[in-house]
Amino acid sequence: METTRTIFEIVSAFVLPALIVGFPLYGLFKKVAVYEEFVVGAKDGFKVAVTIIPYLVAILFAIGMFRASGAMDFMVDGIRPLFSLIGIPPEVLPMMIIRPLTGSGSAAIVMDMIQQYGEDSILVKMAATMFGSTETTFYVIAVYFGAVNVRKTRHAVPAGLIADGVALILSVFVVRWLFG
Amino acid sequence: MLNYVWAGLIILSFVFGLAYDARDLSRDTYRNGLAFEVELTSDLEFDASLRRQNVTVHIDPAFYKAHYNTESTPDSTFSGVIIRSTDGIQLRFAEGATLPDPWSTIRLETSSRDNDMRGTFLVTSTGLAAQSVPTDSTGLAASAAPNSVAGTVTFRSVRFVKMHAIAAAAISMAETAVTLALGLVGVIALWMGLLKIAEAAGLINTVVRFTQPILRPLFPEIPKDHPALGLIVLNLSANMLGLGNAATPLGIKAMEELQTLNPDPDTATNSMVMLLAMNTASVQLVPPVLLVALMGLQINELIFAITIVTSISLIVAVLSARLLSKMKRFQTKPAGPNTPQSLQTN
Repeated sequence: METTRTIFEIVSAFVLPALIVGFPLYGLFKKVAVYEEFVVGAKDGFKVAVTIIPYLVAILFAIGMFRASGAMDFMVDGIRPLFSLIGIPPEVLPMMIIRPLTGSGSAAIVMDMIQQYGEDSILVKMAATMFGSTETTFYVIAVYFGAVNVRKTRHAVPAGLIADGVALILSVFVVRWLFG
Repeated sequence: MLNYVWAGLIILSFVFGLAYDARDLSRDTYRNGLAFEVELTSDLEFDASLRRQNVTVHIDPAFYKAHYNTESTPDSTFSGVIIRSTDGIQLRFAEGATLPDPWSTIRLETSSRDNDMRGTFLVTSTGLAAQSVPTDSTGLAASAAPNSVAGTVTFRSVRFVKMHAIAAAAISMAETAVTLALGLVGVIALWMGLLKIAEAAGLINTVVRFTQPILRPLFPEIPKDHPALGLIVLNLSANMLGLGNAATPLGIKAMEELQTLNPDPDTATNSMVMLLAMNTASVQLVPPVLLVALMGLQINELIFAITIVTSISLIVAVLSARLLSKMKRFQTKPAGPNTPQSLQTN
């Protein structure tokens, strides 16, 4: 397992430089006007970033308000009995609720839990696995759909949340199975 | 769906904020207008002609608990400063002091800019009170008398904490959104530029040719040999290797390619949702940088767990994106390339 991880780490360290150098190199080889093409492509960068601003503002301010209102604590209290019924420790509940909403917020929760329970604790392992296994779904929706100005997202939210929910719950059981 | 989730977040925040504020009002959580007993000691004698004087604030933790009816235990001493003016004496706790709840909330509400809690100080007696301070067991209380004064401090009233908090959060997050988006400009530009070269060199097409047998069944709407497939592969691979910085621009570029196939530019296509679902659940072979930073060496043990979880959730994501797309309420309205609506939006 350790060697596999080392291999992946080496691959991961070289992927970026390889692509950044590889694309222009391959372009030169294929007689592409590399600099000119790069500039043409890069010109879109600003436009894309500006296009996603309204989508990000919409999503992030609503999530910010929700967090500030204390509604989250209330929800955690409300679903605690339900989750302890299926064997999910209540300490990881805040993580499960906050993860699809905000990346920085869930990173803060992992940090808090490390402070409180120590890196070795199974609770921290669960929370960290949750963090590594899921994405900030609402942020990804805002950025990806925002970039192409798609407003009607159809089943994107439920599909993303179902995948998140499964990953969050699985994290608990997989960590318990591996380390418990 | 997003309409309801979004409106739900906003309405719920207001309702919950209101409920918490009403609770605070009825319980008088912050004991508005009530005096809190403190004792001040100073290195210098208390001298009414000094405008500003450094002091140590002594409080009785048991009194604090009873006064605010709270479980949190404060320290028994704080450093602070008193400032005398024609309006009376103001006591300021040191900037950034560690305060227990509800004092931390009072500070946040009444002095968020300077981060020093302030209250009006009233003298009740000088000297004698030093003996009642449990920490002062040196027996020198009598000689310390001129440097010690007992009194009460009254803080400004605090109400509607949550209302202020949700308004402040809305505004600060709106600013954060812009900072985030503009922070992406450079990386997006870099990758869009590189991808343009790759496209012109025919590299994307090569990727497409090699990977489409696996990927096309998941994205049946994408025609054979279309560059969108290549970008999707690059996006998913970047995700697997934990390269979030590169994955986002690659995903955006893939979405742009998918948008060229979209008959109704307002509305997500099945392929777009599939790409999004696969992104939110993507298999992680190398954990994201942030998690490595948080967990340090412990991450070695977790990578196996993360790979298992994400492999299963990827399958779930693909299945749910596929099945949900068939549900009636998520069906696209029939809008071919020739309908007036899409002509307008183009």
